[in-house]
Amino acid sequence: MRNSLKVARWEFKRNAKNKSFVISLFLTPVLFILFATLPSLLSGLGSNDEPVNVNVSDPAGIWEEHIEPYISPSDLNWEVRVETMSQDEWMNTSQEDESAAVFLVLDEAAIHDGQVTYYSNDSTPDSFAVDIQHLGPPLQQLSLQHAGLSDEQMNAVTSGVQFNAEQVSGQETTTSETNSLERIVPGAFAGLILFSIVMTGMMIFQSASQEKKEKVSEIVLSSLTPADLMQGKIIGYFWLGMLQVGVWLIVALPIVLWRFNEFPILEFLLVPELPVLILIALIGYLLFAALFVGLGATIEDISSTSNFQGMIMMLPFSPLILIRPILSDPNGLAAQIGTYIPFTSPTVLIMRLSLLEEWPWIEIGIAITLLILSVWIVMKLAGKIFEVGILLYGKNASMSDIVKWVRS
Amino acid sequence: MPNTVLTVQNLRKSFKEQQVLYDVSFNVKKGEITALLGPNGAGKSTTIRSIMGIIYPDHGTIHFNGEQKSQIPKHKIGYLPEERGLYKNVKIMDILLYFAELKDYPLKKAKERALSYLKKFGLEGKEKVSIEELSKGMGQKVQFIASIIHEPELLILDEPFSGLDPVSQDVFKEEIRALAKSGTAILLSAHQMNVVEEMADRLIMLHKGKQVISGSMEEVKRQYASFKCTIHGKNDEKKLQSIAYVTRVEQTDNVSILFLDQNLSPSEWIRELPSDIHIEEFRLDRISLHEIFIDVASDRTLTREEEENYA
Repeated sequence: MRNSLKVARWEFKRNAKNKSFVISLFLTPVLFILFATLPSLLSGLGSNDEPVNVNVSDPAGIWEEHIEPYISPSDLNWEVRVETMSQDEWMNTSQEDESAAVFLVLDEAAIHDGQVTYYSNDSTPDSFAVDIQHLGPPLQQLSLQHAGLSDEQMNAVTSGVQFNAEQVSGQETTTSETNSLERIVPGAFAGLILFSIVMTGMMIFQSASQEKKEKVSEIVLSSLTPADLMQGKIIGYFWLGMLQVGVWLIVALPIVLWRFNEFPILEFLLVPELPVLILIALIGYLLFAALFVGLGATIEDISSTSNFQGMIMMLPFSPLILIRPILSDPNGLAAQIGTYIPFTSPTVLIMRLSLLEEWPWIEIGIAITLLILSVWIVMKLAGKIFEVGILLYGKNASMSDIVKWVRS
Repeated sequence: MPNTVLTVQNLRKSFKEQQVLYDVSFNVKKGEITALLGPNGAGKSTTIRSIMGIIYPDHGTIHFNGEQKSQIPKHKIGYLPEERGLYKNVKIMDILLYFAELKDYPLKKAKERALSYLKKFGLEGKEKVSIEELSKGMGQKVQFIASIIHEPELLILDEPFSGLDPVSQDVFKEEIRALAKSGTAILLSAHQMNVVEEMADRLIMLHKGKQVISGSMEEVKRQYASFKCTIHGKNDEKKLQSIAYVTRVEQTDNVSILFLDQNLSPSEWIRELPSDIHIEEFRLDRISLHEIFIDVASDRTLTREEEENYA
């Protein structure tokens, strides 16, 4: 173990000092933030900031008293002017006007028949058709008032029916939104750990392959055993993954806390379920790390890998095909099958447990046991492959070579 | 009598159906340079890798300093493999200290030794240079320093001179001799016979996994202190074979090589040669280590008797 830690320290220091790792360390959270905010920024760029000139013809005399107090023209980006000119006069003048303009008629028909006519020019944005719907409730209220309904009756008609979901858990009552966040936050955190350490785990593959390519393994193996070297790599890259998670949290946590300041994110994060989720992420890492370190020892030239090796590289991404079925039914058949397949299990479990209110403890227990068993088997196989493969200089190992090493 | 640092006994190894080592046994002694010779595929690297514990022999024992432990103490051994390289994107000093750390050697002392060896090998001031910036020869010097940074009791060098220019070869030779003089036991595999003759105290020659020659350089020379006689001229092979002290004849066209028994007196033997031998040209030479090696490598019969003795 002492030798493994020496290798781990070396791998950690070597990579942490590497420029491209340092750049990607800081660039990744920046890119995440950029991708998260860029779409809304871009859609904001396309919007027309110029206000719409709304010319209200108000023969019924209701705008100032009954409509304006209920809507907020500034939020709607309207420039409202109560007009005395007729519709034809407005149309003549508005033809020369290049800015967005609307002529809105609030006459008796608007109150009695609920029919409001407005005229717009070419520059009027399409969103105006949505915005004008805000005039509906005050006009309806005015219409009911004219029909002779009391305030109480009017309230009963206009308020409609609202469904408020309330949940009872233990002694305290929480709203469903808060409840789901409480599950998603630790799940997202464990997902982040899994993602980060699996990504650095993929660097193990490069490291083992590079060791072959640069013909250093024999010198290193003159000081320690292949098992020490393999374990050292797995531990070292785990540390790198955790460093990555740490840096990402330092960069992203203040932004998340600021953006979702209405929720106690830290309180949601530090819940009793978190250790279970982190445990699942760590076992998942060990599984993929063992797989990659064994695979790396079979490849010297990454540009000429076989389909078999390429498929193994894709295994961490296999749970992606289960995302939709799991989101639609976290207890469905696809989710349950994914829970028991070792290579999909960590991601599927983290996703399901973030969605489910009641955790299926028996399924979790079986899945974790299966995962640990798989880690043990894969580690053993990887150890055998690594021991022979790392010293096989000058060529990539074929599938039959790998089978032979495993059998030996 | 120098202490035996490494004892290899009856080493056997097979890969799949093919046996690559047959009962290889030898000792490496303190302060001595032992040469491991043999053509490509003779089993030298398999022997060395077995000693280093990189591969496991099927049979036989390897003991360090007479200890009966099953594992060789790796931190007491320095190793320069034939297929060697270094991590490309790290600094020279970092990699040297990493190898010293793997051998449990104090880092402060390792740093001092590294600086001193870098100076000795003309790499002064380059400790912060990245490996990828070095030439091949400079890289080999760094690899050599890495193998001796922890003051090993036993140093195993697999083809240390391959790829080196003559000046660097001399620097390496001098350093290897100095290490042996200071008490390091050295096992060296090499192809350059002149270098082996010049440096080695002891010799083991392998051929197809079998140990065909072994002993101190003096013993081997004495053992092969025989002569060969080259005669240009048309002669009957049987007639040449019947001459006293001739152990074997090789004949191609008009050239005959007569291998002679080592107990002969050259001047007497020449005097007693039959008068009817057709001689256009005549030469009497000692058999060199180089010839023994070539003979073994080309599978000729010079050492066949020896081979049978050792098999």
